[in-house]
Amino acid sequence: MSRKQRKRFEEIVERFVELKDTSELMMDLAYSSLLFNSKELAEDVQRLEEHVDDLHTDFELLVLSSGFKPEEAKDFLGLIRLGVVTEKIADAAAEIAEVVLRGIEPHPVLKLAIEEAEETVTYVQVAENSSLANKTLREVQIPEETGMWVLAIRRENKWIRPKPYTKIKASDVLIASGYAEGEEDLKKLASP
Amino acid sequence: MPRLEKIEYKPISVRELFLEMKNLSELMIDLAYSAALFNDKELAEDVLELENHVDTLTYLLDMEIMIAARDAEDAEALTGVAKVASAADKISDAAADIAAIVTQNIGIHPIVSEVFEKVEERLTRAKVNEDSILVGKHIDKLDLAARMGVDIIAIRRHKDWIIDPKDTEQIKSGDILIARGAPSGIKEFKELVEGKLRKLED
Repeated sequence: MSRKQRKRFEEIVERFVELKDTSELMMDLAYSSLLFNSKELAEDVQRLEEHVDDLHTDFELLVLSSGFKPEEAKDFLGLIRLGVVTEKIADAAAEIAEVVLRGIEPHPVLKLAIEEAEETVTYVQVAENSSLANKTLREVQIPEETGMWVLAIRRENKWIRPKPYTKIKASDVLIASGYAEGEEDLKKLASP
Repeated sequence: MPRLEKIEYKPISVRELFLEMKNLSELMIDLAYSAALFNDKELAEDVLELENHVDTLTYLLDMEIMIAARDAEDAEALTGVAKVASAADKISDAAADIAAIVTQNIGIHPIVSEVFEKVEERLTRAKVNEDSILVGKHIDKLDLAARMGVDIIAIRRHKDWIIDPKDTEQIKSGDILIARGAPSGIKEFKELVEGKLRKLED
């Protein structure tokens, strides 16, 4: 296999991982929107659904334009199908969020089943002078410092599923859940 | 075509049914991706079987909801449960679609699996070395979730997959384990399974 070909595969995988991460992030956020009965989160899930549609189209175009040989068609069909699945998952997440947006009070059964100890969800924007800016999540130890858990990071039009080595940047919006007492601590950290 | 099971009403609580649907649908997604990336037909077939089971649960949940609704207020509240359950059912269908890529021999390019394995840090598959300190231990005694945020979601022993193994399951030499969790924990877990790391840290 040529280097060029390998590079192309790597790009396809990278795009796919973005799709997969985004669809799974949506599931997490959708269940959280139910748990907290948060319209704000539910609206974000709906917006992400549109974002996934765009990502999915880009992914399909990339796969289809990769110049595969006839005998490789099946392998590439497998990739196309994987992409379709991420979109289905995103749709399912959007349907969960829709329940919140329709103003249906979440049934206690749902809250019990989502069984998280968290009490609240909050959005904070990272200021230029914040100690969080330009550090990785591993370095800043937000759960240890504040008791809040970062569910997602919104950076302009991008959504990031947080990983330990994800670097926080000024003007990022952190979406975090946790105990009510931690909310103030996190706000102070983000915009001192 | 698989034979469809006849569905009869069973008194199971809405909470229990919904909880099982939610957990299974999430587990199935991870199992299905593992089956696709490691090109494992048996695991893929198990995912398809689970999908059938989730369908059965959906019917049972719908029945339970109908019985539980006594007035308009109940109906309003329970509609939300039905909607969310139907979304969980769709997620399990999506997992089955991934599994079908494997069972229908469509496949995914080997290079894609190789690269994917490198970037997907939440899932791992590892074979239990005879020297691993995990051999002979019950899953609950290991406390993997608390120690390193890792969850064993399936064990392959000889020809069979044990899906979502019980806490009392004993790990044996030669088992193939599929686990999911935080990337740092996954790395440590793999080293323990392969016998490269000989100590469980607290």
